[in-house]
Amino acid sequence: MMTQMEHLLLFGSFMVASWFLFTYFWPRLLLSVFKRAILVKGFGDGPIPVNTLYTESQTLFADPLHAPASASKLATTGVNRDTLMTAGWLDLSKGPQVLHVPDFSGRYYSVQFTNPSSNINFAYVGKRATGTQAGNYLVSGPGWEGQVPSGMTQISSPNNSVLVFGRVLVYSDSDLPTAYDLSKQIQLAPLSGWQPRQ
Amino acid sequence: MNNRTSTFLTVLNGVICGFFFINSFFFGRFFTALRTVRKDVVQGILIGFALAFVISQIYARIKATKVNGWITMFGLGEPGNGMLLRAAHAQLFPGPVNVPQEAMYWTTSGDGAGHTLSGKHDYIIHFPSGGLPPNNAFWSLTMGDAKNHFVPNPLNRYSVSDRSGLVPNTDGSVDIYLQNTTPTGHESNWLPAPAGNFILWLRVYIPGAAILNGEYTVPPIVEIS
Repeated sequence: MMTQMEHLLLFGSFMVASWFLFTYFWPRLLLSVFKRAILVKGFGDGPIPVNTLYTESQTLFADPLHAPASASKLATTGVNRDTLMTAGWLDLSKGPQVLHVPDFSGRYYSVQFTNPSSNINFAYVGKRATGTQAGNYLVSGPGWEGQVPSGMTQISSPNNSVLVFGRVLVYSDSDLPTAYDLSKQIQLAPLSGWQPRQ
Repeated sequence: MNNRTSTFLTVLNGVICGFFFINSFFFGRFFTALRTVRKDVVQGILIGFALAFVISQIYARIKATKVNGWITMFGLGEPGNGMLLRAAHAQLFPGPVNVPQEAMYWTTSGDGAGHTLSGKHDYIIHFPSGGLPPNNAFWSLTMGDAKNHFVPNPLNRYSVSDRSGLVPNTDGSVDIYLQNTTPTGHESNWLPAPAGNFILWLRVYIPGAAILNGEYTVPPIVEIS
């Protein structure tokens, strides 16, 4: 038989441990919802395979009230009518990925790299961070020690899993096709077998 | 989860935890020698989870900046945030949101006087001359219904912004009309509201120094009769 005090201590230890774990992992739990949305449901065109980027469709942007039935609920959660979304989930354990961005000629865009275990943005590519000229960025996981190809800027990720979230500004309804064409050119490719684009 | 739901859950969880603690420590209930170990473990985990939610919600509200009814948080997604602050950020801004230098977000479900925003009333937000949010990219004001979904309307207009053709007043100030029915003569500055309750999001991308150092204040939403 345990005494009242022993019960209290046992309860107390589990309570404190549970508080700590849920608080510590809350951002990770939150972003696991995004991971599932990306890799399992997608935003209307089926699941988005790991190490590829999805670009929000012009239809979804133009008519946000009627998202495709197959889309993750996240596609219609929150209201944003400014930017076309790009989203993807990286796994860098098999080697780095190369992010290619086209020339945005002054237009606002950003590609945000988020560590899914802390919800901390450890790097940005975009108008504020790197400018709007075309470029190639090498996204490498922890412990990668290869040679960075010339002309590429390295982005070191603290985690092999990375949430990539891109935003491209849409000026007006008539600008939507142009913004979409540019968004589509934000692309990922593995470093192995990477060829410079012409 | 909108603000009111999370307030409700915070209070509910807080009451459950408080009831549990008061009963245990002051009245000697629950923790009797007849308890099972299983009960200690399960209750410990559940109460710990509820406390994690309540404490990070309360911490988020302490750390949030509230001016004229608008709520924002500085330091979202920045390296160096501690675990409690990260949990607090995830509570109020659940998503992979930007760092402050990239974008700042304000949200509100109430007017400047603290009353819940509803399509039953008409509102104006008045930006004085030169008082639009300073930025190096863009700003926008977006309408959401009580569940943070877009609001159907005859213009298919879901936000107003620096790109939407807002017409300034003669003195250079800008009025934005937030209401369910068309404001006659002010269609260009109309952000259509639903019939029921609504919330608003103000986004400023690449915000200017006045925003980042806290000098800039977003004007209140004012109900007009």
